[in-house]
Amino acid sequence: MTINKTLNENKLTVGIGGRLDTVTAPELEKELNDSLEGITDLVLDISELDYISSAGLRVLLSAQKTMNKQGSMTVTGANEAIMEIFDVTGFVDLLNIQ
Amino acid sequence: MKKRLTLTAKALLSLTLMAAFIIVFTCLGISFSFYLDMKEDYRRTAFSYTRTAADFINGDTIKKYYETGEKDDYYYTILDFLCSARKESNLKYYYVFIPFENDVVYIWDADNTENACDLGYHEPYLENGKKTAEGAFKKDPKEELTINRDAVYGFIASACSPVFDSSGEPVALVAVDMAMEGWIESLVMFISLEILNVLLVIIVSMVVLYFIMRRSVIRPIEVINAAAKDMVSALDSEEKTSIEIHTRDELEELAGSFNQMNDELRDYLIRLAAVTAEKERIGAELNVATQIQAAMLPSVFPPFPDRKEFDIYATMTPAKEVGGDFYDFFLIDDDHLAMLIADVSGKGVPAALFMVIAKTIIKNHAQLGEISPAKILMSANEQLCEGNQAELFVTVWLAVIELSTGKGKAANAGHEHPALCRRDGKFELIEYRHSPAVATMDGIRFKEHDFELYPGDKLFVYTDGVAEATDAHDCLYGTERMIDALNKDPAAGPAEMLSAVKASVDEFVGDAPQFDDLTMLGMVYYGPAK
Repeated sequence: MTINKTLNENKLTVGIGGRLDTVTAPELEKELNDSLEGITDLVLDISELDYISSAGLRVLLSAQKTMNKQGSMTVTGANEAIMEIFDVTGFVDLLNIQ
Repeated sequence: MKKRLTLTAKALLSLTLMAAFIIVFTCLGISFSFYLDMKEDYRRTAFSYTRTAADFINGDTIKKYYETGEKDDYYYTILDFLCSARKESNLKYYYVFIPFENDVVYIWDADNTENACDLGYHEPYLENGKKTAEGAFKKDPKEELTINRDAVYGFIASACSPVFDSSGEPVALVAVDMAMEGWIESLVMFISLEILNVLLVIIVSMVVLYFIMRRSVIRPIEVINAAAKDMVSALDSEEKTSIEIHTRDELEELAGSFNQMNDELRDYLIRLAAVTAEKERIGAELNVATQIQAAMLPSVFPPFPDRKEFDIYATMTPAKEVGGDFYDFFLIDDDHLAMLIADVSGKGVPAALFMVIAKTIIKNHAQLGEISPAKILMSANEQLCEGNQAELFVTVWLAVIELSTGKGKAANAGHEHPALCRRDGKFELIEYRHSPAVATMDGIRFKEHDFELYPGDKLFVYTDGVAEATDAHDCLYGTERMIDALNKDPAAGPAEMLSAVKASVDEFVGDAPQFDDLTMLGMVYYGPAK
C-alpha cells in the first residue's frame, strides 16, 4: 500500500494505492489519526487502490465519522471493482463518493 | 571442515622454512666475505714475496745474464736466496723472468729439481699471463692477484713485481705462484662449521619461538575453540561459563568478546523462554476462545430433526484462532425460521469479541418475537453503535421465513449477494441494493424485501472469505467459480453443497495461506409439513 498526503491549509488530500486489507489498514488508520487535527476538508483519492477489505472499509468509516464532526470528507476515483464493494456493503449511503 | 594442517604443524613448518632461508643466505654471505678475505690474504703474502725479491735483486745485472747466459757468484747467491725462501714458505714456484712480446725468458727459477727452467729458457705465456705481466711491468705497477686453474700447474694464485735497474726502469719481473688447494679445503671446512653453528642457533631459537607461540597463540586459540564447541550445551547448565586468557593482545580481546557473547546469548535465551511461555499461554487461551466461539455457533446437524420442512447446514473456518465471521439459525416461533450470516470488519480477537456481542444482540431481538429482519437489524444497530470505540462494523444477511408457506423477508446490511437455486434450475446470485453494514452509523433504516421459496428450492449464503479467497498469484476466487461448484451436483443437499464449495476453494488457493474467515450456510426448503 502507498499513502501520499498533500496538505493545503485546511484541506488534506490523501492518495491511497495498492491493497487496503487487514495488514495495511492499521497503517492508514494511524496516518489519518495523526493528521486529521484541524482539517475541515478531507479528500481520499483512491484511484490507485486495487482492493479494499472490510478492515479497510472500517478505516474509511472511522475517518468519515471524525470528519462529520469537523468538516467534510470526499472519496474520489473509485474503480469499478471498489465501487461494487461500496455498493454491496452499503457504503455508498455512508460515504460521499464522487 | 577437514583440517589439513593443525596450527602447530603450520607454525613448525613456517619456522623450518624460515630457518632454511636464513641458513642459505647467511652461508652465501659469509662464504663470499670469507672468499674476499682469503683472496686479500693471498695477495698480500704473494706480493710481499715478489717485492722482497725485486728489491733484493740488483736490476743492472739482469741484462748481462740475459745477453751472455753466464752465471757468476752473484747469480748463485740470488738463486740460493730464492730457493731457501721458496722452501721456507712452501711456495709452488718462485722465479724471475723478462716478459717479451710473444714469450718470457727465465733468469732465475727457484727449483732444485730437473724440471727447473734454466737461465735463458723461453716459455710461452700461460692464459692471462701476458696481461698480468704487462700490468706489472711498469714503474708504478698495480698489485693484482691472478688466480688460474691450469692442467699442468694446478689451481694457483700468481703475483708479479718488477725489478728496476739503477735508472729506475723495469727490467724483469719476480713472480710467485702459490698453490690454492688448501684454500678450498679451508673454505669447505669453514662453511660446514658455519652451517653447523647457524643450525644450532636456529634450532634453539625455533624451539624457544615454538614454545612462545604455543603459549601465546596456539593454546589460547584451542581454549576458545573448545569453549565455542561446548557453548550451546553449556548454555543449558545453571553455571555461567567463561574463558580466561591473559595474553594482553587481540586474543584476550577475542576471549572477552566471546564471554560477552556468551552472556548476552544466555540473557537472550532467558528472555526468549519468558516470551515463549507467554506465547504458549496466549496460545492456550486462544485455543479455549476458539472452542467457546465454535460452541456459540449451532454445530449439531441436523439441528431440528423433527422438522421436515427444511434441511440446513453451516460451517465456519476462521483464518486465525478466532474469527469475526458467524452464522446462526433458530426458530423464532413454531412457524418462523431465522437464518443469518455475518462478517465483522477485521479479524482475530477484536473481531471475535465484536462478533460475540453482535450475534447475541441480533438473536435476542429476534427471539423477542420480532419477525421483520429490518427491524431486528435496526434495534441491533442502535445497540451496537453505543460505545463502539473501535468503530468495528458487521455486514449481515438476515432472513426470516414462514415455514408453512415458504414466504419470507430478507435484509442485507452490506453483505454478499445470496445464491438461490429454484427447483430443477441452477444457482444464481440474487443481486439487489444493500443497506449499509450494521454499526456503521446511528439510525440506519434497513431495507427489507419479500421473497418466496418453493419446495425443492435451495439457498446458499457465504462471507467474503469465499469470494475473496486468494491463490499464490493474488487472483481472487470470485463468485463465478463458487456458482460453478454449487451447480456441479444438482441433487446435493446442504452439507454436500458446502463441501463442494470448500473443496473448490481449497483447490483454487493451493498452498497460499488462508487470509479471511471462510463461512457458509446452505438450506433446502422441502415445503410445508404434510
